[in-house]
Amino acid sequence: MKTLLRQIQDKGFTTASAGAVLLIAAALLVVLIPMFGRGITAVIFTETVEFRRLQKDLHGRGDNEHLARALADAAAVREPIYTMLREFSEGIDTEPLVKQARDVYQKYGEYLNYHNTPKEQYSDYRKQAKDVRDGLVDALESDDRQTVLDDLDAVLKEKDNPAFADSPAMEFFAMAQRYKKIAETVDLSHRAEYLTNLQEVTAAIRQLLGPLPGEPTPPLWMDQYGATRLDMALKARAALLYDEQWISDGPGKPMVKHIIARKEQFAGTPLEPLFDRVEADWDKLLQPRLRIYWQYFFDDWVNSHYFGGVGPEILGTLLLTLMSMCVAIPLGVISAAYLVEYAGDTVWIKIIRMCINTLAGVPSIVYGLFGLAFFVVTIGAIGKPCILAASLTLSILVLPVIIRASEEAIRAVPQTYREASLALGAGKFRTLVLVTLPAAGPGILTGIILSLSRAAGETAPILFTGVVAMGPIPNFGSPSQWLENPGSLFGWLFQPTRALSYGSYDIAVGDRISMLAPHQQFGMAMTLILLTVALNVAAILIRSRLSRKLRGC
Amino acid sequence: MRTLRNKLVMAGLCVMSVCGLVSVVGAAEEAKQTLQLEGSTTVGPVGDAFAEAFMKSQGCSITVKKTGSGDGVAALIDGRCDIAMSSRFLKPEEFKKAVENGVYPVAHTVAMDGVCVVLHPSNPINELTTAQIADIYMGKITNWKDLGGPDMAIVAISRDTSSGTYEVFHEKVMNKKDMAASVEYVNANPQAHARVKTTAGAIGYVGLGFLDRNVKAIKVDGVTPTKRTIAQGTFPVSRPLFLFTNGYPKLGSLIHAFCIFYLTEEGQEIVEAKGFVPMTNY
Repeated sequence: MKTLLRQIQDKGFTTASAGAVLLIAAALLVVLIPMFGRGITAVIFTETVEFRRLQKDLHGRGDNEHLARALADAAAVREPIYTMLREFSEGIDTEPLVKQARDVYQKYGEYLNYHNTPKEQYSDYRKQAKDVRDGLVDALESDDRQTVLDDLDAVLKEKDNPAFADSPAMEFFAMAQRYKKIAETVDLSHRAEYLTNLQEVTAAIRQLLGPLPGEPTPPLWMDQYGATRLDMALKARAALLYDEQWISDGPGKPMVKHIIARKEQFAGTPLEPLFDRVEADWDKLLQPRLRIYWQYFFDDWVNSHYFGGVGPEILGTLLLTLMSMCVAIPLGVISAAYLVEYAGDTVWIKIIRMCINTLAGVPSIVYGLFGLAFFVVTIGAIGKPCILAASLTLSILVLPVIIRASEEAIRAVPQTYREASLALGAGKFRTLVLVTLPAAGPGILTGIILSLSRAAGETAPILFTGVVAMGPIPNFGSPSQWLENPGSLFGWLFQPTRALSYGSYDIAVGDRISMLAPHQQFGMAMTLILLTVALNVAAILIRSRLSRKLRGC
Repeated sequence: MRTLRNKLVMAGLCVMSVCGLVSVVGAAEEAKQTLQLEGSTTVGPVGDAFAEAFMKSQGCSITVKKTGSGDGVAALIDGRCDIAMSSRFLKPEEFKKAVENGVYPVAHTVAMDGVCVVLHPSNPINELTTAQIADIYMGKITNWKDLGGPDMAIVAISRDTSSGTYEVFHEKVMNKKDMAASVEYVNANPQAHARVKTTAGAIGYVGLGFLDRNVKAIKVDGVTPTKRTIAQGTFPVSRPLFLFTNGYPKLGSLIHAFCIFYLTEEGQEIVEAKGFVPMTNY
């Protein structure tokens, strides 16, 4: 009976532990698989011809001839779309007219300057012209017929104003006359409806194919190209072909989403065939094909991570982690050796041990603030946030972990090893360095592995001590510079750096990148995990070699 | 002893290969002028984009750090940065501390931003007054039914209390009254947008650049948030975005060039491309 009970106990315990392990594994997979699945799309994705153009412009990658041919193919099918759009919008969109009004105003200012108008008169005239311009712009931007006509009448009243006689400002009145005719004949409320839809269509085409021909080059790279990836292109295509409208479902009820084909919205207008064309020529418009963008791990980013990769972030994270290890490992191992081998079991040592244990549990932001107060502000030699200050802060963060692990490892070395060494005539120090520490090596390495991942992933300690969202790539100088000025070898220590952990945070807040280019956010998270795994694998390999050696095979 | 020597040789080889790698990676660069920007996550994108454009034309090195308006101002006061980005004006106590430290903050207004009140697109309500919005956030109105909408509980979403966006909303809409405990806090514009996009009864507020077809911006006090109404200041929850420097920057210096960059056409276009409202009718 008793045996049966024990067996049941045993079985129950085994099942419970297996279940717990499985649960943890499942939870990890639930988090990691989507993250990797979406992160990998930053590296492997379907590129479009726009992406190839971008790579050529940014990095000079790709074959000139192939690209030129692809672009020519694309241009051939894009041209009719642009033509249709241009012809239709001339009658609907008043934005170019607004621009023209602004130009006229500027020309008028130049005209006044040219004619050496006296100063008081100059500002007075300019103010009058500005009023006229603003009235005209108001009229152009309004879609209520009465407002338009009132505004235009107010503008036209100024026609005989001597200030404008024979000047470029007369163009204002010609424009007002022309537009008045349109406003009287065209149903402006209808025009407004077309206009909003047309603006949406134009925006979608811009997103799909890049700036329209004849438009000035946008200032940011992200607006200079169309959809560079198929997933972005499909989103833009959906916005181009279908409109979402929320229509009332009776009072007191939520509105219902209706998807309306743009083709029907523009039925009977010259724009109607555009939508069929986009669908028919889809492959030629963008020429999608699979791309393995391995340069993601080396490239610098452009426009706050909209394009490009995470090269500087990886380099920065590696530097911070390795530098902090360089400081923490010797300090940690020496302290552990002292605590185990040299220090007795006094009250002071107990207090010190307790302090170390407490430090291991202190939140990382506290280390960050300490680092800011001590390394950045107090130590004058550092004086500003930089890699050195950040790695020192990180090393203090991981020090307790390393000390604890090393202490346990050194303590676990059998006493007989030490006795054998001492019996052979070795001193205490020699025994420690040549016998105890090597034997404790694998255990110490376990502590180092744990702290490596922690150091690589922490954000809070480096936030105030040396990490930036945008900054220089660490500059190591060159051998010739080192010979000239040995100090330049360490210049990078005193520069701030970017890091993967802070980079992911930076993408998530503030800018619109996480909405516009979600793959970048997941890509960076994936890279951080991969980097941690790679560092761990390297350390585990070293450990297994070491323990093999210890076993003597 | 032989193994020890082998190890030394190995270590030497490692160091040499690392050095080799390092010299390949690090291209030789001249010592450059540097500029440090720190502060608001809202102004950050503009700072980023300015810095990118500026580095290209001036060949200098600029670092940008985005942790919050308060951090940027604190860094400027401590002399840890050259330019503080802020989505609000300095508080009196910050001014006091700055002057005590011998720092005289000067504001450069680079752009305007509107804090737009957004609803889920299925919500039939198109317009609210600031008083109504304040009532919602104070927990006095808890159902859309009371505002003429569907019978649906209101989920009020707010930014965290340390953000500049919160402070503007708190001052201009809430009249500095406290929000109800039922209000949900999120810590960035994209999160507020995502929360409103997916919740039928939600109300939230985001910057102008975050409007898209997944959320509906409503009229506040009868004014639609557009570039025009925000630039004119008629939209009730508009605010300027600032760069702060220590004194007016020395004419001709790099800081000066950076602080007047927003006046150029390129600067204004960048401001607009980043979803803000430019200061000038360029």
